[in-house]
Amino acid sequence: MTSHDVRDMLDLPGSAAPRPAKKQKLAGPRPNLKGLAREVQSLGGDNPIAIVPEISIFKKRRLASRKPAAKWELKPFKNSAREDDLVLRHWKRKAELPPAPVEENVETAPVEEEMEDSTFAKFNVKVNTPKYDDEQYRSRLESDDWTKDETDYLIGLVQEYDLRWPIIWDRYDYQPPVPALDEGEGSIAIVPATKTRSMEDMKARYYKIAATMMAIHNPVQFMGQAEFSLHEMMNNFDAKQETKRKQFAELNFRRSREEAKEEESLLLELKRILARNDKLTEERKELYARLEAPISSGNLGLYSTSTGLQQLLQQLMTVDKSKKRKSIMGMEGMSPAVVGQGNSQQTSGSGDRRESSNHRESVPSSTAPNNKKGPQAAGNERRKLTEEEERVYGVSHHDRLPGGPQFRHEKIQKPITSKSSVQQQKINNVLAELEVPIRLVMPTADVGVQFEQLLSAINTLLDGRKVADKLTSEIALATEQKRLREEKEKENKEAGGAEGGAEVKVEEEREKSAAPSVKAGSVHKRSASVLSTVSDKSTKRQKK
Amino acid sequence: MASQTMNSSMQPTDVYGGDEVSAIVLDPGYTSVRAGFAGEEVPKSFVSAHYGQIGDQLIFGDNEIHNYKPGMEIRNPMGKDGVVEDWDVATKLFEYSITSRLTRFPQSDPRSNGLNDDPKDADVEMDAVEEQEKTLEEHPLLMTETAWSTTKSREKSIEIAMENWGCPAFWLARNSVLAAFASGKATALVVDVGASNVSVISIHDGLILKKSIQKSPLAGNWLSSQLRSLFGSVEPKVDLVPHFMVRSKTPVDAGAPAQAIYREFKIPPTASFRALEEDRVLTEFKESVIQVWPGPGRLSSGTGPGSTNEDVARSQPGRVFEMPDGANQMWGLERFKVGEGMWDEKAALPVAGEIPPTKAQTIPEMIKASLGGVDMDLRPTLLQNVVVTGGTSLISGFNDRLNAELTVLYPGARIKIQAAGLTSERRFGSWIGGSILGSLGTFHQMWISKKEYDEFGANVVEKRCK
Repeated sequence: MTSHDVRDMLDLPGSAAPRPAKKQKLAGPRPNLKGLAREVQSLGGDNPIAIVPEISIFKKRRLASRKPAAKWELKPFKNSAREDDLVLRHWKRKAELPPAPVEENVETAPVEEEMEDSTFAKFNVKVNTPKYDDEQYRSRLESDDWTKDETDYLIGLVQEYDLRWPIIWDRYDYQPPVPALDEGEGSIAIVPATKTRSMEDMKARYYKIAATMMAIHNPVQFMGQAEFSLHEMMNNFDAKQETKRKQFAELNFRRSREEAKEEESLLLELKRILARNDKLTEERKELYARLEAPISSGNLGLYSTSTGLQQLLQQLMTVDKSKKRKSIMGMEGMSPAVVGQGNSQQTSGSGDRRESSNHRESVPSSTAPNNKKGPQAAGNERRKLTEEEERVYGVSHHDRLPGGPQFRHEKIQKPITSKSSVQQQKINNVLAELEVPIRLVMPTADVGVQFEQLLSAINTLLDGRKVADKLTSEIALATEQKRLREEKEKENKEAGGAEGGAEVKVEEEREKSAAPSVKAGSVHKRSASVLSTVSDKSTKRQKK
Repeated sequence: MASQTMNSSMQPTDVYGGDEVSAIVLDPGYTSVRAGFAGEEVPKSFVSAHYGQIGDQLIFGDNEIHNYKPGMEIRNPMGKDGVVEDWDVATKLFEYSITSRLTRFPQSDPRSNGLNDDPKDADVEMDAVEEQEKTLEEHPLLMTETAWSTTKSREKSIEIAMENWGCPAFWLARNSVLAAFASGKATALVVDVGASNVSVISIHDGLILKKSIQKSPLAGNWLSSQLRSLFGSVEPKVDLVPHFMVRSKTPVDAGAPAQAIYREFKIPPTASFRALEEDRVLTEFKESVIQVWPGPGRLSSGTGPGSTNEDVARSQPGRVFEMPDGANQMWGLERFKVGEGMWDEKAALPVAGEIPPTKAQTIPEMIKASLGGVDMDLRPTLLQNVVVTGGTSLISGFNDRLNAELTVLYPGARIKIQAAGLTSERRFGSWIGGSILGSLGTFHQMWISKKEYDEFGANVVEKRCK
C-alpha cells in the first residue's frame, strides 16, 4: 500500500507539498551516471535502485591530494635528560620554508640550526629523597638498630630504585664496612653479622627519616594540608601492624578453594541478615507509630454533657499537637540513619545496630524512642571535620557544660576548692614543694589535663599519708599500752595476791583496744579490708 | 563514509611514545641469535647459534651449516645456561647476524665476505675493513642477556660493542623483562621455556627480582633427549635418520621398516654434525606430534575408580609422523608422556648418562619458589600477569596445563596467563620486547654512551643496567 492509497481512503488531496521535492532529489543524480551504471539504473524505472557502485571515491581523493612526496631528513638531536651529550639521529619531516618571507628568516636561521632537544626529556623525573648532614643525623636521626652507614645505604637504594619497595627489598645487600684493624689491638675484629632486614624495617626507618627531615625543613604547624597528611602518614607507619597485615594477606592467599567459598557464603549470609534486620527495624517503627495513636477507651457517658465534650475536644487537640511534634522529631531522628545508609556500608551497619538496640531498650517503656537523637541530627548539619583536620585546628571535644555562666579557671580550681580548707592547705603545700603554681601560668588544654592528673595523684598521696599517720599513731598507742600493762603486771607480781576484779578489768581493756592493732600483720589486714569494703559487704549480704 | 574521522575512543589520548633512532636489537640464545632494528615487529635476522668449523675455518649461517661438508664439526659458542662461553666466536657470530641482513654493507656471499675465510689470508683484508667504518658506527645496540649472566660476560659484551663495533650507545637488558614488555606488562611473572633452559622470574616495574630467579634445564633440548630415550625404548626401535643421509625413499605402511636409499660419504659426517641434523628432525617431531597433557591433574593421576588420565589420553586420536627415511608410525599415549616430566618429575623417562630431574626443577615448583621469593603484596598481581614465552612453550597443551597446575597451587588467587597467540611472538618474545624498548623516546636517556664507557670503563654496565 502506498501513501497515495492511504490518502485516497482518507479523502485527502492527492498531492502533498513535500512529494515533488523528494522526486526531484531522486532525479538529481541520475544524469551523472555513465555506461553500465546508467543501464543498471534505468532497469529500475521510476523506483531508483539502491545499489549504486561508488568505487570512484578512493581514486578521486588520491588524485586530488597528489603533491610532491614529503621530505624527511635524518636529524641529529640531543636529550637534555642525559648528562653527557649523546647525539642520536632520527628521521624528521623536513621543515618546509615558506618561499615568501625568506628575507625575514635570515636572522632566525642560525637559531634553527641549533640541535633540537628530545621531546621526551621532560619525562625524566626522579623521586626526592631526604638529605641530611652529619649534624642533623646526630641530633635527630640516631637509632640503635641502624648505623649511619647503613642508613645512607638505604637512602641510596631508595633514590636508585625510585621508592619501589619490592625491588629495594630484593636488592638490599648491605655489607657493613670492615673496621680498620690497625687502630689498636684493643679493637677485636668482630665482623658484625649482617642483619636480614624485612621490608617493614626498611620502610619504618625510611619514613621516620623522611618525616623528621620534613618537619625540620618545614615545622608541622606551617605545613599545608597535603604535606601534613603525608607527614602524619609517614609518622604513623607501624611496622608491626604492617607485618601482621602481610601475614594475614598470606594466609588469605594460601587458603583453599573451599575456604574461599565458605567465606563468600558467610558474607552473603551476613548481607541477608543485615537486610532482614533493616526490614525488621522498619516494621517495628511502623508498629510504634500505630501504638502512639490516641487511646479511645473510657466511659462514653463522660462526654454526654457539653462540658464533657469540651474536655474531649481539648484532649484530642493536645494529643494531636504532641503527635505532630513527635512525628517531626521522629523524622529528624531518622535522618542520621538515612544519611548513614547513604554513606557507606560500614557506617550504615553500625548505625542500624545502634538503632535496633535503641528500640530494644525502649520496648518496655513504649514511649517515643527517637527523642535522644535531636542534638545528633542538629550536629549532622554542620560540616564534619576529619580527624586530621581536628588535630590541625586543635579541635577537642568536652563533656557537656552545665548551664549558666562560668569561668574556665573555676573548672581547674574545682578539684582544690571542693576540698576542705585543711586539705586545700595540704594540697597547696605539696604544689609549693613541687614548684608548681596553684594558678596555672599557661592553662592550655594539654596543661590542664596534666594538672588534673597531678592533682589526683596528690590526692592519692595525701590519702596515703593520712592512713600512714593513723597507723603510726595506733602503733604508738599500742606500744604505749603494752608498756603500761607490763609495768602493771610487774606491779601485780610484786603485789602478789591481788584482787581478781582488777585483773578482769585489765583483760577487758586489752580486748577492747589492743585486739585490732597488736601485730603489724593484723594492721595490714585491716587496711586491706578498708580497701575492699564493698566486696565484704556484698559477701555479708549474700550470707544473709 | 568518505572521510572517516576518528572518534574520541580511537584518538590517541597521550603522546606517541616512539622515537626511533635506528637502534639494533640483538638477542642471543642457545639455539639461535635474533637481530633486527628496533621498532620492527620481528627480527630481520634469525641465525642459528651453532656454527661449523673445518680446521680453522668458521662457518656461520643456516644455509651453510646444514650442508654436509667433510670434516665439519658443529659447535656452539653459547653455554648450556644461555651465557656466552666462547667470546671470540660469539663476537663473530653476532657480527655475522648483524651484518648479513641489517647494516648497510649487505653481505654478498658467506664465502667471500671475509668472515668465513681462512684467518691467514683474512688478515690483509681485516686491516682494510678496520680502515673503513666500524660495523655499528651509527646504530645504538640493545643486547639481551639472561637474568643470571655473570658480571664478566656483561662487561665483555659492552666492551665488544664499544671497542669492536664502535656503537655510539649500548644497553644490556634482561630477556625476561623484555618478554614481559612484549606482552605489554611491566610487572609480570615470566615463564620462559627456551631450548636449553626454563626460567621463572618475577618482574616488578621492569626490574627483575633477584630472589625470585628460578631456572632448570627441563626445556626443549631436554625434551629432545626424552624423545631419543623414547625412540630407543619403543618396539620396534625407531631409527633416527636425519634428512641429509637420505638420497631417496619409497612410501611404506605404518610400522613397516623403511625402504630408502642412503647417501654414502667418503668421509663420514662428524658426530656433532649428525647430532645437529638429528635435532632438527626431533624439533619437527616436537612441533607436530608431542602434546602436554592439558590437565586437570597429572597424567598419572586417577580420574575415577580404576581409570587414570592415561586412559583418557590413550583414547585420544594419535598422530602419524613420517621419518626422513619414510618409516612412519602412529603415536598415541607416548606423545603425552614425553612432556610430562616438565610437570611431574616422576614421569620423566630415564635417559642414560643423565641425572633424572628433581622435583624442584619442575615448572609448578619453580613458580612456587619464585613467588616465595617476592613480597606478599606482589604475589596476586604477579599471578594475574603470568607471561609465557619461549619456543618450547608452543607445544600444544602447554598453557592449559600451566593454568591447571596454577589453579591447583593457588586456588584462592585469580590467575591470568598471557601468552601471545602468534608463533613468532612467542619465539621472539624477548627480541620484540627489546624492539619496543629500543624504539621508545623515553629510552634515549637510558643508553650508555660511548663517552660514559670511556669515562667509567666496562663496569658502567653493572651500575646502569640492573
